[in-house]
Amino acid sequence: MSIALDQVTKRYQEQPVVNDVSIEIGEGEFFVLLGPSGSGKSTLLRAIAGLTGIDHGRISLHGRDVTHVRARDRGVGLVFQNYALFRHMTVADNIEFALRVRRMRAADRRARRKELLKLVALEGMDERLPGQLSGGQQQRVAVARALAHKPQVLLLDEPFGALDAKIREELRRTIRSVQRELGIATVLVTHDQEEAFALADTIGVMNHGRLLEVGNPNDLYTQPATRFVATFLGAANLLLARQSADGIRFGATPVNAEGPERVPAGREHEVVAVLRPEEVEIAGAREHLSSNYIAKGAVEEIVFTGALERLRVRLLDEPSAAMLLGPGGANDARLEVTRTQPERRDLPLQTGAQVALGARRLHVLPTPLSSFLACAPTEAAAAALANEPLLAQLSTNMKTRVVLRSIAQGPEVTGSPLPFTGVAAISAGPDAAKTVEWLLRNGANEVLVLPRNAPSPTRVFIHWTHEAARRATLAVSASLLRHVSAEAIYLGIVPEGPPGAGHAAPMRALLDARSEAQSSHGLEMRTELAIGETVSELTRTLSSGAAQMLVLGITDIEHAGTAYRSLLAAQPGWPVLLVYRSGEPQLRAEAAA
Amino acid sequence: MAGPANHTELSAELSSRPGHNTWTSTVVRWLLITVSLVFLGALLAAPLAAVFSVALEKGWEAYFGAFADPDTRAAIRLTLITAAVVVPLNTLFGITAAWCIAKFEFKGKSFLITLIDLPLAVSPVVSGLIYVLLFGLNGWFGAWLQDHDISIVYALPGIILATMFVTFPYVARELIPLMQQLGNDEEEAAITLGAGGWLTFFRVTLPRIRWGLVYGVILCNARAMGEFGAVSVVSGNIRGLTTTMPLHIEILYNEYNFVGAFAVASMLSLLAVVTLIIKTLVERSGYRRR
Repeated sequence: MSIALDQVTKRYQEQPVVNDVSIEIGEGEFFVLLGPSGSGKSTLLRAIAGLTGIDHGRISLHGRDVTHVRARDRGVGLVFQNYALFRHMTVADNIEFALRVRRMRAADRRARRKELLKLVALEGMDERLPGQLSGGQQQRVAVARALAHKPQVLLLDEPFGALDAKIREELRRTIRSVQRELGIATVLVTHDQEEAFALADTIGVMNHGRLLEVGNPNDLYTQPATRFVATFLGAANLLLARQSADGIRFGATPVNAEGPERVPAGREHEVVAVLRPEEVEIAGAREHLSSNYIAKGAVEEIVFTGALERLRVRLLDEPSAAMLLGPGGANDARLEVTRTQPERRDLPLQTGAQVALGARRLHVLPTPLSSFLACAPTEAAAAALANEPLLAQLSTNMKTRVVLRSIAQGPEVTGSPLPFTGVAAISAGPDAAKTVEWLLRNGANEVLVLPRNAPSPTRVFIHWTHEAARRATLAVSASLLRHVSAEAIYLGIVPEGPPGAGHAAPMRALLDARSEAQSSHGLEMRTELAIGETVSELTRTLSSGAAQMLVLGITDIEHAGTAYRSLLAAQPGWPVLLVYRSGEPQLRAEAAA
Repeated sequence: MAGPANHTELSAELSSRPGHNTWTSTVVRWLLITVSLVFLGALLAAPLAAVFSVALEKGWEAYFGAFADPDTRAAIRLTLITAAVVVPLNTLFGITAAWCIAKFEFKGKSFLITLIDLPLAVSPVVSGLIYVLLFGLNGWFGAWLQDHDISIVYALPGIILATMFVTFPYVARELIPLMQQLGNDEEEAAITLGAGGWLTFFRVTLPRIRWGLVYGVILCNARAMGEFGAVSVVSGNIRGLTTTMPLHIEILYNEYNFVGAFAVASMLSLLAVVTLIIKTLVERSGYRRR
């Protein structure tokens, strides 16, 4: 490994700006760190260079631990966004700076300088001052300077930020060819996804200080695992689809796509599907579509952008429109579509035209949290619940919506016309446990129990009562923790009694849980162990501090109404996210695997 | 381009454009310039001219004769010694303080900035009195100093301390905004290229801030030589021993030795003029470099 980062964390004023990031970058690999501004990517790069200290974790370069090595001794080449050339020195002096520091002989320095200037195609510019060069040329000099001392790794901090498009592309090509020629491991930081695609062997996407996903550009684009990566890497329409044992449906129409987890017969999950604008097919009528029909639509806007035509299409069928996640909720649901010139010639469109829409390829995110359903006895109470700070924060961060639902709680609903989709949210209280049981019986899979004015959690405890709920609970927790900046702690609970067989299983579960969370869900979590009865231990742990939250995986509806009554009725209380998975199909699937 | 056909149309076209009617604005501009020039002339140039004319009233011989006086020579020497000690020390301090403030984040940073400004806010007489209070015979350390036979007040050390206090902000104030504006990138680049702290400072930082530094040093020097109030309090005005040029001018004037007083004054003024000329040159070359 050329560069290995192990759980690197950097905090500014207690706020983590780089949060538990682990990366391994191979020999000669071109790694692009992509993220919006403020995602912590530049801080991470500076930490690798040694210009910023880290609070936790380890950094090693070519197998050598450099966590506590000074920046000047790390032997990295760093290129800055605004070039940072020594303005009072000539190009020659700039490039030779690192060699002069190392007391290299003048003749050798000169030879190396000529070599480097040739590499970046700036021969004969030796005696110019930086001020006499164009921006592109200055950045070439900066690259040559960073490479002078033959560094082990090359780090580039938004190197094309200040350049215009043409020069940018040309310089991009230069850097790529220089990197290939030298076979040097390179990390480039950028917020520009086009740049990432053009350069990267591997892309790592960062947001809120966390490294969300790492992969080759093609995989990340076609099979993102998170909403953020799906929408940040290229444009994407997010749709809410429904998965049952029979497959996935969008609105009323079945679509050809693979779901993230098996669904037992008789239950339904809501899933989030990514539909890229170029994967939408437009035809005059449903019969002319060659792909899965999804909805009828009316063209609202057409923008010509050269190679592509961009359209915004409003969905006309009500149930389908309700399934589209737009920035402004269901009323603002517009499908983004791009068409190539040949497609455009085949079916010229004007604004207002009615069309049939098909999906050539849908990718279902393996994210269990899709949307929220605020449930309360009256519509007004549901609206108040939707305005709870934590719920509002979650739905905003997840770019999803909160649907209001008034529930008239009967003893049993037969053939419920409106299924419970997404995460059902209810208020905490003495009756909460009863409501939870009722919701689970009627098809809900995740229930969020919210006390009034609960703050955004800083610690999220994770626990499941049965191994069958493990996978789902971890997936839900990972999904949740991408949208709140909190620490994750798995709480293992060992029943009281003499040590023996009763203890081995929870201990093993504890260790397994941690490695599974990291490998399958990219979630770094700590573990804690408690001894005693489950509900009382959970209550004790949650009351130990402020701003804490629980994710609880259960497999048993029968006793939900009584078993968790005290947990959900406590004052002032804490948010609890219950994850219900009926045990059997999961266990069968695992036994088969 | 379809332009206006003839001259009349062209001028009509031009006068219709906004900002064309500049006649009144020209008058206003010249009026303002004249007012400020007259003001400057009355308040600054005339007194300066008066200094030289009175100094030369009795001819060049009397003028140079004034400098032959041993007390005058002692005053000039004292002023030069003070400046020679104070200016380098304050330069060093100024660079250090500006470096700390511009490059590091630490607690008490804004307090340090305020502290640097303190001498500008305090009256020079008060600045002098502080030292008398501390080191004078009845001051806090007075008795101890007397026991060890160290004299600070009414001697060279006191004059140097008071001058340092008063001229302390000039270099730092000049460098802080400059360093903050320049940022850290070049220094960081030097460090990643393997340079250590001193090398980075001398090869990268110093060349970048040199013009600002020279400017600050010039201002600091001008104030160090011309300081009256603070020095007057701590020096005790012992003729030939603890009088700097400004103090000596006052003594001569009070003795009705106008030629002598104005001759020394003219020298001090000359110094100020030379300083300003150097400053202008520095500013010019500084801009050209950028």
